[in-house]
Amino acid sequence: MNVDNVRSQMRKGMLEYCILLLLHKEPSYASDIIQRLKEARLIVVEGTLYPLLTRLKNDDLLSYEWVESTQGPPRKYYSLTPQGETFLCGLEAAWMELTNTVNHLKNN
Amino acid sequence: MKKTLTINLGGTVYHIDEDAYRLLDNYLTNLRVHFRREEGAEEIVHDMELRISELFTDRLNVSRQVVTIEDVEEIIGRMGKPEDLSGDETGEAFEERRQTGTTMRRLFRDPDDKILGGVASGLAAYMGWDVTWIRIILLVLGCFVHGVILAYIIAWIIVPLAHTAPEKLAMKGAAVNVENIGKTVTDGFEKVNDYMRSDRPRNMLQRIGDGIVSVAGFLIKFLLVLLAVCLAPVLFILLFVLFVLLMVATGLIAALPAVFYEVIPLSCWQTVGVAPTPTIALAVAGILVIGIPVIGMIHLLMRHFGGWQPMSFMTKIIFTLLWFIALGTGLFFILSDPNIASMISYSL
Repeated sequence: MNVDNVRSQMRKGMLEYCILLLLHKEPSYASDIIQRLKEARLIVVEGTLYPLLTRLKNDDLLSYEWVESTQGPPRKYYSLTPQGETFLCGLEAAWMELTNTVNHLKNN
Repeated sequence: MKKTLTINLGGTVYHIDEDAYRLLDNYLTNLRVHFRREEGAEEIVHDMELRISELFTDRLNVSRQVVTIEDVEEIIGRMGKPEDLSGDETGEAFEERRQTGTTMRRLFRDPDDKILGGVASGLAAYMGWDVTWIRIILLVLGCFVHGVILAYIIAWIIVPLAHTAPEKLAMKGAAVNVENIGKTVTDGFEKVNDYMRSDRPRNMLQRIGDGIVSVAGFLIKFLLVLLAVCLAPVLFILLFVLFVLLMVATGLIAALPAVFYEVIPLSCWQTVGVAPTPTIALAVAGILVIGIPVIGMIHLLMRHFGGWQPMSFMTKIIFTLLWFIALGTGLFFILSDPNIASMISYSL
């Protein structure tokens, strides 16, 4: 049990929520998402994202379409499906609850 | 100067150094192995290939057209090695699987620790014994028991060499799991050998033993090569003679009934092999029984001196089976021929 271990597990738990949040704002492709997550220091290695995206897509929370790119190969633009939006609402509620709990415990 | 290869990664063509290619290929293979239980594994790896392709494009420009091993190393560091991508498994479950992950051991020849063919070290890895003891036992047995040397040579020919990291790990048995393979390979393919070598420190006695055995092995190899070089012309002549004999034998077998008819016209012709089936079967069996070893010898010679590719495992099996079938069929037809049978019983 050390801090790094717990922190990385917390991040892992949040990762899906954050991806859905990003895609809720605008459809984007993997490299954009990576860029944003890296800025937020949520992921260290890029490879973590791909299995997650595929899993979310297989669970029908995400869908994608191919968009031709001026440089390099065509890109997969991911966006939220209606199920994804509902799922995100659920996660939103869970997150609120979590932060409330933590704040509550901290303040009392 | 370096040799480069051309690859198609995510639909774009890249020139890539050979060493960089091998590293990248290993990395992608490991990703496939890592994600194999995941749904949509191919898709994940394909997406990652697209990303790598994109990163390559970022790095290349007019004055820099070839992907180097440094590029690939940096990109692997950026994408993460398979062991960094444990998905959503918790650390503990991950550890647990790492410890319990064992696979059936498989018999390979060990290319990293060999004196002649690596049979002994492969066997040692398979049995979990110390290779020095196996070698001593083999040597002692080889001196006193007939067939051990032959068995060694057959094993040398039939048992495959452990080429890839998964094969090497399968050879060692206990340490096979995805994380190990990933670690072994993505750290750089040269280190595969270091990893396999450094796992067991050797004591003084073993080292002396190893020294003696490797000197002996060198001498044997040297003698074999010398013998082969001296005998090469003789061998070729022998092969040629064998080939001619083969042709003659085929002709004779085909012409046998006629010859018999000429020589002993009074024998009972219903029973001698005038029937086409035994004649043809005998001819084919004869060709195979003599021809397969000849092919094997030619192949062995060409492999060592002409740089031919070694035969695949299946080819060897098929040839061996074919030889035994041919031998069996030949013997069956010879023994079931009433004339020969009566001749044998007469001479007995």
